[in-house]
Amino acid sequence: MSTTLPPKTEDGSSPVAPATPTDRRAKRTRLWGRPAFFQSYEQQLALFDTWSKRVGVAVVVVVGFALTQVFSDDILRSLALAFVLAIAALGLNMVTGLAGQVSLGHAFFIGIGAYTAAAISGDPEARTIGYGIEEMWIWLPAAGLVAAVFGVIVAPIATRLRGLYLAIVTLGLVFLGEHVFREWSSLTGGAGVGRSAAEPVLFGFDFSDAGSDSMFTRDQQMYVLMLVLLLVFALAARNIGRSKVGRSFAAVRDRDMAAEMMGIDLPRTKTLAFALSSFYAGCAGGLLYTITGYFDPGSFNLLLSVQIIAMVLIGGAGTVSGTIAGALFVAMLPTIVRNLVAPNLTFISTLPSETPNVFQVEQILYGLLIVVFLLFEPRGLFGIWVRFRTYWKSWPFSY
Amino acid sequence: MTVLDKRPDAPTPTAASASPATRIREHARTRPDAVALRDKHLGVWRPWTWAHYWDQVQLVGHALLARGVRPGDRVAIHSENRPEWLVADMGALAVRAASVGLYPTNPAAEVGYLLADSGATILVAEDQEQVDKALEVLDECPDLRTIVYVEPRGLRGRYDATYAGGRVELVSWEALLAEGARHREDHPGAVDAVADATQPDDLATLIYTSGTTGPPKGAMLTVANVEFAIKILCDEGAFTSPPPGPSDLLLSYLPLSHVAERIFTTWFNAAAATQVSFAESIDTVPQNLREVQPTILFGVPRIWEKLLAGVETRLSGASWFKRSVTRFWLARARGIAETLAATGGRHTAATRLTYTLGWFFCYRALTERLGMRRVRHATSGAAPIAPEVLKFFMGIGVPMHEAYGMTENTAVATAAKPGRIKLGTVGEAHEGIEVKVDERTGEILTRHPSVFAGYWGRPEATAEVLEPDGWLHTGDVGEWVDGTHLRITDRMKDIIITAGGKNISPSQIENELKASPYVKEALVVGDGRKYLTALIGIELDTVGDWAQRQRLGYSTLRDLTEKQEVQDLVRSVVDDVNTRLASVEQVKQFRLLPKELDHEDGELTATQKLKRAAVVATFSDLVDQMYDGSKS
Repeated sequence: MSTTLPPKTEDGSSPVAPATPTDRRAKRTRLWGRPAFFQSYEQQLALFDTWSKRVGVAVVVVVGFALTQVFSDDILRSLALAFVLAIAALGLNMVTGLAGQVSLGHAFFIGIGAYTAAAISGDPEARTIGYGIEEMWIWLPAAGLVAAVFGVIVAPIATRLRGLYLAIVTLGLVFLGEHVFREWSSLTGGAGVGRSAAEPVLFGFDFSDAGSDSMFTRDQQMYVLMLVLLLVFALAARNIGRSKVGRSFAAVRDRDMAAEMMGIDLPRTKTLAFALSSFYAGCAGGLLYTITGYFDPGSFNLLLSVQIIAMVLIGGAGTVSGTIAGALFVAMLPTIVRNLVAPNLTFISTLPSETPNVFQVEQILYGLLIVVFLLFEPRGLFGIWVRFRTYWKSWPFSY
Repeated sequence: MTVLDKRPDAPTPTAASASPATRIREHARTRPDAVALRDKHLGVWRPWTWAHYWDQVQLVGHALLARGVRPGDRVAIHSENRPEWLVADMGALAVRAASVGLYPTNPAAEVGYLLADSGATILVAEDQEQVDKALEVLDECPDLRTIVYVEPRGLRGRYDATYAGGRVELVSWEALLAEGARHREDHPGAVDAVADATQPDDLATLIYTSGTTGPPKGAMLTVANVEFAIKILCDEGAFTSPPPGPSDLLLSYLPLSHVAERIFTTWFNAAAATQVSFAESIDTVPQNLREVQPTILFGVPRIWEKLLAGVETRLSGASWFKRSVTRFWLARARGIAETLAATGGRHTAATRLTYTLGWFFCYRALTERLGMRRVRHATSGAAPIAPEVLKFFMGIGVPMHEAYGMTENTAVATAAKPGRIKLGTVGEAHEGIEVKVDERTGEILTRHPSVFAGYWGRPEATAEVLEPDGWLHTGDVGEWVDGTHLRITDRMKDIIITAGGKNISPSQIENELKASPYVKEALVVGDGRKYLTALIGIELDTVGDWAQRQRLGYSTLRDLTEKQEVQDLVRSVVDDVNTRLASVEQVKQFRLLPKELDHEDGELTATQKLKRAAVVATFSDLVDQMYDGSKS
């Protein structure tokens, strides 16, 4: 009899039992009390693979909603803004943290999103372009998609450049964008004037309008809206991260040549990274000014880009929870300084005309934090958490 | 037999017996989708359901029939632990053939001896390495007809289809299964028919003794032996209480050619439907333990000693805070263990309180890291173990029990029962088992239905150990403690008689020495001499780690053993042990072995037991040094 076998087992793998339907069912079940016991790759990649993670996330979400009843309106407004910035940071995290492509041009994509959303939902009678479609389920995806299209247009450059060169090219984007936004006054209202932002209306319900019969204030409504949206975007980001796409991003980040050798299509992967990242930026841009209601073309400058990068770096590049933590931290820094530092340190003035004042302290703290994190905790806030977790997980040993 | 009576299509059995193979068939019928086995495949544990397991067993059975295997023929298996081992073993049993397990570490010469001695016609070899060994000694094995390889890597397309002039055929595992599938189509029910005709005195397996003194002898275990062992150990729960069941998880990692692992892996699984996971290799056991967190764990003393040494090493590498907290609670654990040793394993209110407190700070995490958090019954057997090692595990909450048995009585003799533990003894005889201590020689004898049928092809060797009235000479010297518990002194032939005429059991002293994490091997010498001495092999991992922390540079094991600091370290261990021994039992001199003892060099058996005579002969210069210019 012949020793040759069908070619499918020629790869030298051990004889595999054909997977029966019951095998597959067994693969889905976890054994109780054995967190390291995996019967399939799906279990290893599960979104919330441990019981404590599930409980932890649930607690955070519940606390998030409960905060509406705890904080005053102005703090809720800052938090809502921080949530939107977190969505933008999640986008940057995808291209920089996951796929390893440095991008300084995030502000540009945020701007595209902001103007797309504003134009679609804007008043057709106003002096700036507007189509009067106020429904958010139309303008929000549209803002993301238009930004994504620009991301795809930029991506071919990224596939040819690396590191510093890519950083400079994306930096150029910001200046290009700033110029166009300033000059195209029929869309943006022109420098120093600006235009009104998109209206957060969902199925006829305007979140930015708390009528006299509403039991919630405008800021509470906006806060809840942004929190829900952040949850949706974060969940999506986490899922992208653990999918085939996300794993190919990480492979490209770790070593693009090795990734290519393993069969990952580099141009396609990098394009996808930029598209997804710009989509997030666009959506965040659309939402960003619904809270204040009005914005100026000068907002989309390098400082905004750097601020988003700071969120990713301080939070922990490549992680969703770290990025959100970083975004909240950076975005809430002015509020923290104004509410905690200034009242206790009386020599710090709250008037911009005096020195030292809170605005200067903010700037100093901001720079200081980036330096300190890069020096001492390059993995960001998430790195601190990982160290803390490892310390207790490895108990009673050190490794 | 109720099992078979329920099958409407089964042919009428003729005074037949159940066997592990028919038990698997029964599980496949009653719980087809439950998990029977798991093996690590490409990084994840792949489940094998009962239906699939039995299907594979049946296919192998059919293939063996197709290859002309008749009842009583031998099928050799030379592989690491993996599902195919069990499938081949049970496939052979299903067609009333006997399996012969070879140790994966057996060198080619021993493979040749075992294949020739057993007269196996079929060899299931795991991979290229094992196939090469068999091919090397093909001429010595005239009965061998087929070699089946499980892992095709390096073999497929590179090796010929036949060897030895067409006598021996080389087949892949898949080809064997395909052959079985064809035979099953042509002769449906053929394997079931043969399995249903299983007789109690059918040879179930040949288990070769490790052979510390001579060439290995094949102990013949019949289906009746195995079934009685199953009745005692699984149904009555002599090793585990309560008896093993379908919710129990076990890790299979010791060689399946040994009777103990065969019991815990194959027979427990077949009889009680326990879930068996196969360790990837002996080196990954600590990690696999952590993943699987078995509920029933069997280990030989060497494994427990190594785990204990691992705790010590990793603890000394831990941060100051963790180390002091853990050391504090380990000291409490020793106290708990002392109490448990005194009460026989039952907690008192005080120890339970201490343990509960310590559980939060140390024991829970420690047992989790060791992979023993869910262990409900741990067993040590196959060789003597130091009580210190047992106490460590008892203290941190692993219910440790010592069991005693040997290949020749299917490992059925005595075991410590939960709540009735006496440290230093191997427990009480199982229910319905006759165990006695010869009043004249002190030798332990057993008599029960699991006593083997004899040594394969050696009636004179059989007659030496098996009395006509069924009593088995175990070759172990022992005594009763309190009339119920058995204490093993030593192997009869290992007892040392000093020049002063004192009878001394070396293994007790050796185990005391081996309880230290720094000592891997210890061999006490002194037969016919004025005093005792010891050859000591150091544990490279722990001593190397210790040396590094002392900022002591070294290159090899030999270099390490020649360091004065290491000599002093071992001397402190020896001195510590000496304080607990009577004057005549004290080790006056010792030398460190300059190399690791090895199976290949003939210093250890396949089960890592010392071949005393061989070691003393190899290192006779060291032994002579210790008695030169003897200063008593």
